[in-house]
Amino acid sequence: MKKRYVMIHDENRCIGCQACNVACRSENSVPEGVTRLQVRVEGPFGEAPDLHFKYHRVSCQQCENAPCVTVCPTGAAYFDDNGIVTINKDKCVGCMYCVAACPYKVRFMNPETKAADKCNFCKDTRLARGEDPACVSVCPTDALTFGDANDVNSEVSKLLNTKISYQDKSHLGTQPRIYRIPTKRGGIQS
Amino acid sequence: MIELDRRSFLKGAGAGGATCALASILPGSLAALEKEPLKALGEEVASICEMCSTRCPIKARVINGKNVYISGNKEAKSFGGKVCARGGAGHDLLYDPQRIVKPLKRVGKRGDGQWAEVSWQEAYELMADKLNTIKKEFGAETVAFSSKKGSLSGHFFHFAKAFGSPNTFTHGSLCPGAYVMASKAMFGTKLKRDLSNAKYIINFGHNLYEGINMSETRNLMKAQADRGAKLVVFEPRFSIVADKADEWHPIRPGTDVAIALAICHVLISDDLHDKAFIDQYVEGFDEFAKEVQHYTPEWAEPITDIKATDIRRIAREIAAEAPHALVDYGHRATFTTEEFEMRRAIFAINVLLGNIERKGGLYLGKKAKTYNKFAGEKVAPTLAKLTVEGMPKPSAKRIDQSDKQYTMTWKNGGIYQSVLEAALNDKPYGLKAWVMARTNPMQTMNDRAKVLAAMKKMEFIVVCDVYISETAAYADLILPESTYLERDEDVADKSGKNPAYYVRQRVVETIGDTKPSWQIFKEAADAMGIGNLFPWQDMETRQFAQLNGDAQELKRLKEKGYLSYGKPLLLREPSLVQAFVEQYPQAKATDADGTYSSQLKFKTPSGKIELSSTQVESFAPGRGVIRYRPVELKQADELYFIQGKVAVHTNGATHNVPMLANLMSDNGLWIHPVTAGKLGIQTGDRIRVTSSVGSEEGSALVTPGIRQDTVFAYMGFGSKTKELVRATGKGIHCGNLLPDRTAPVVGMNLHTTGVKLAKV
Repeated sequence: MKKRYVMIHDENRCIGCQACNVACRSENSVPEGVTRLQVRVEGPFGEAPDLHFKYHRVSCQQCENAPCVTVCPTGAAYFDDNGIVTINKDKCVGCMYCVAACPYKVRFMNPETKAADKCNFCKDTRLARGEDPACVSVCPTDALTFGDANDVNSEVSKLLNTKISYQDKSHLGTQPRIYRIPTKRGGIQS
Repeated sequence: MIELDRRSFLKGAGAGGATCALASILPGSLAALEKEPLKALGEEVASICEMCSTRCPIKARVINGKNVYISGNKEAKSFGGKVCARGGAGHDLLYDPQRIVKPLKRVGKRGDGQWAEVSWQEAYELMADKLNTIKKEFGAETVAFSSKKGSLSGHFFHFAKAFGSPNTFTHGSLCPGAYVMASKAMFGTKLKRDLSNAKYIINFGHNLYEGINMSETRNLMKAQADRGAKLVVFEPRFSIVADKADEWHPIRPGTDVAIALAICHVLISDDLHDKAFIDQYVEGFDEFAKEVQHYTPEWAEPITDIKATDIRRIAREIAAEAPHALVDYGHRATFTTEEFEMRRAIFAINVLLGNIERKGGLYLGKKAKTYNKFAGEKVAPTLAKLTVEGMPKPSAKRIDQSDKQYTMTWKNGGIYQSVLEAALNDKPYGLKAWVMARTNPMQTMNDRAKVLAAMKKMEFIVVCDVYISETAAYADLILPESTYLERDEDVADKSGKNPAYYVRQRVVETIGDTKPSWQIFKEAADAMGIGNLFPWQDMETRQFAQLNGDAQELKRLKEKGYLSYGKPLLLREPSLVQAFVEQYPQAKATDADGTYSSQLKFKTPSGKIELSSTQVESFAPGRGVIRYRPVELKQADELYFIQGKVAVHTNGATHNVPMLANLMSDNGLWIHPVTAGKLGIQTGDRIRVTSSVGSEEGSALVTPGIRQDTVFAYMGFGSKTKELVRATGKGIHCGNLLPDRTAPVVGMNLHTTGVKLAKV
């Protein structure tokens, strides 16, 4: 059976420390000035002392209905066998349609390869070796879980079945494979 | 890149062939070398991080000769194989073009930024000549030695002792010293916290989610997220730990001691304290109980701005979870000059809860010697202490020991800032030279202008570092240390509830002409004629001797990087003692209740926990019993200025590492909307903060996450020397605003002061 790789970001456990950001940069040799992944600590929201921060993971959402793939004129952006939105940099002509089309603003032109770039769950590096993506492997507080949602026994399936989760901008119909467990602070209880 | 006017460039260029002013390439920096591929020393090497002083166990893998991927070492279970942003960016320090890889000699005026590359031989000769001359003319004690703590300081202070100076300092009095001394005064030793098993945790601004200590950060999250522990945070700022807490109480800065004492009051007056524990283990309870009679929650309310009803409720809540509940004794001080009382009052709550040597409480480290004794067999090897015969005994008194109240400080790294008064005002006697290793007092010590003046008065300054730090910029000689990824070091003890060792190993071959500091000071000793006091050949011979010649065990340690022995043991926890006894048939007999309660002894004069201490009273009259004393931290028309740690930087050390500088190079000043509104300040506006000693310009961050009477900045920013290219001139320099004020008994440098705020 094909895999359906998903990632879950638990905003209760995330502390916004950027360990993921740095690990991603190191593993995937992401050049200075561009980024595949960051966590934005937004806020605080609310009235003191009942304040809360929002820990917002900004990275490719691995949409199942990906606008970047739809607009790509050359087929450089495509879904691989396991559904990971992937870039064939040899086919990329640098038109930047995908950069414009991405509702999450997470695609960028790689200044070294001159092709579009973004998170691909470390498929060329760690996933190929059977390891978790870099961000997952270093996360100090275990806020990230990665795995195959088609496998009912996987950690991700268990989490999705037992915790309230949401997807960013789901109203656009992009069907992201990044799920977020909302923070209990600020009113949403899980 | 640095901008330079043509005049100073020409001036620099005229000073000699090997010299140049700060153009685009720093002399002696990595940028001056051809970029070569990294030479890995193994597929994946287990080692120890050095991006902060927590020193987490890591694994490092070289990718395509270009990059190093660093993760945690899974052998160390409580660290979970994880690494923080700083740890993950270690390779970026390794390959930073601005890192120094040749010894440098100052050729212009001090601080002018004109350097000449010299050979190691020349550097050692210069050092030997200057230091030996000063020793001959003024005495060895006129040379101060200061270093980052850890394996480095061991070798470096050995060098200081061999030279004959008693004046050695770590950053203890600028950071974590107070809780260590409070703990030693009460328990005779340092304590550790079992956060992961605690059901209720009170935290006084110990921001473990930004000042990351991997094992403790994970344990706190585990307690909260997996085990449903309640976390209550008292902190003037809405930090990440405050956000993750169940309750955040914006306390008035520096008044934590009043909350701690009021909680003690409630525990005793409501009869919620563990009387059996106190009878068995505690000395001086009655004096303490009499003193805290006055410290009601109603008394604490106007001091702290925390409602008496909340204090009372929290005291009762934590008592209900005792003994599996703790009050975190913190890390970086110093909120108030009453630091000794504050940390002792926190420990006192833990004592009243009876959580010592219980799950979720505080406990004593179990090193091999203790552990083996309980097990009745050799579970873990003991580490041999390598001593050298014939070390000189300095005749001079340390500069921080002329006042008896500071008796406890010298064993805990001394009062670092006493270097300033000694250098500037000959108190108690003058200093002529300062040798430093991986320490940056221009950032971490208070009153930057005073630090600078003290440095300028010195006849000779040597700094061993990886960058031309803000401090190194004023040195006469810079000795470039290899980064931790290029160094082998002594085996280190990492015991917790059971014994553990780990070791730092080289991951890549050394880039450029750098050396590990243990080798630098061994070779310097040779040049100075005291090389006979450094009888070891190299690091491997030392490691071998440390493990008592057990080659097999050393090999295993190097392969795994981290070795843990036995299972966790807490002497008063029945389930752990039972598992321990089952594991080791020769184990000591337990008490009737199935624990080792009767074996729990403390290294204090009475052998008990000294809630009140006649020993402390003897060297610090009036301090035997924990007592509240009001402190003035600011003037009425000023705002409190406080600082803290951020997850992507380490105090005065990492702000020039490219990847981390890119993440954060500036520290905006947190200002409450009401305070900002009165001054017409909006986020992003340029502002000026002025204290009694200095003035800093920065940018405003208007946020409800701070008290109206307080402003906050992350520390370590705003470097003022041009060599630290990525960090210079960005943000607020905290050390330039904090006055040089030393706390009684513990000798800590105060970290809270008053400032005036204005829009620029």
